[in-house]
Amino acid sequence: MEASYQRFPTVRIRDLKDDFLKFELRDTDASIANALRRVIIAEVPTLAIDLVEIEANSSVLNDEFIAHRLGLIPLTSDKAMEMRYSRDCDECDGDGRCDYCSIEFTLSVKCTSEETLDVTSHDLQSSDSQVVPVDSIGHDPDIENFNQKKGILIVKLRKGQELKLRAIARKGIAKDHAKWSPAATVTFQYEPDIHINENLMETLSLEEKREWVDSSPTKVFEINPETQQVEVVDPEAYTYDDEVIKKAEAMGKPGLVEIYGKEDSFIFTVESTGAIKAAQMFLNAIEILRSKLDAVKLNFGSDEADEQFGDLGAHMRGGF
Amino acid sequence: SHSSTFCFNGEDHTLGNSLRFLLNKDPRVVFCGYSVPHPSENKVNVRVQTTGAPGKEVFKDALLDMVAICEHVSTTMDSAVGRFKANEQRPE
Repeated sequence: MEASYQRFPTVRIRDLKDDFLKFELRDTDASIANALRRVIIAEVPTLAIDLVEIEANSSVLNDEFIAHRLGLIPLTSDKAMEMRYSRDCDECDGDGRCDYCSIEFTLSVKCTSEETLDVTSHDLQSSDSQVVPVDSIGHDPDIENFNQKKGILIVKLRKGQELKLRAIARKGIAKDHAKWSPAATVTFQYEPDIHINENLMETLSLEEKREWVDSSPTKVFEINPETQQVEVVDPEAYTYDDEVIKKAEAMGKPGLVEIYGKEDSFIFTVESTGAIKAAQMFLNAIEILRSKLDAVKLNFGSDEADEQFGDLGAHMRGGF
Repeated sequence: SHSSTFCFNGEDHTLGNSLRFLLNKDPRVVFCGYSVPHPSENKVNVRVQTTGAPGKEVFKDALLDMVAICEHVSTTMDSAVGRFKANEQRPE
């Protein structure tokens, strides 16, 4: 293998919670960062309800409405990576309902009191204790007592109304349906590199400096009260709007500040729905990207391609 | 010089753009580009023109490079998470 000038990326984690991950990815190109972002959103497998058999439904919402809502409920999918897709499962003769490739849920609720009954994701009974609807409690300690673990609302029932159904959850990826996406949001931004021209900055009065600092919609700069100098307080708050640059030109001082995004330094923010932990989601994404590359490599130089295309196949693959 | 176009079924910009980037880094590559002929079809065409090496070899090397990057990011991420968690527990 001839040496190619590729660099190896570095990672530094800024913030890590169960459902939130913020880190810096350095020494790589935007196309790699984007590929990772795309895989996290669209190709990391999770579990979601895919088939609903309704036995009784006298609620105000119709059957398919409720089935649609059930599909969108996030389920804890830590075992999704090891599970098989239903279509690939040999245990169940293509039925797609056996224990190896699917999880069964039941819901059976009837409203008997005068008050409106909220049917929530807590009423879904799972056949596997590892795969349950994600608990939608926030992490704010003040809210905890007030909300008391209510779960995701599916439908509301009046006295006499009933909902009874069976649901099958299967493994899938968001390319097939967005309900299978484990990510709430995944974003990355170029890390900004801000240079203030100190000489030009000296020619501004304190009032002009304040005006210029305030012209930025986000708090990027600040005037140090002791030295009366303009300092960069939060470079990442910069949203690449050119407001401060336009303001500098309007004040007659073009080139007052130079801001550009470093082409190989990215700040990733990954938020998960709770189906998979944020850090685990990123690692799964890398694994998926690898398996895609392995699949391409395997098909490479295969004799089947030669048979299929004959001379064309050999030519297409770069040989003679 | 050798030139070849590879067509991937069932792939999209995720792989196309990143492989194009890695192929451009290879000094043996004269030209490299990718396109998605129509968004409704999951096909990606990757074109490689080299200074003499067979396109298949150059492409295979790019794939191996990509696998190496993925492995590296994976282990780097694991150790970074470990360090972060260790730092969190220390103040206690």
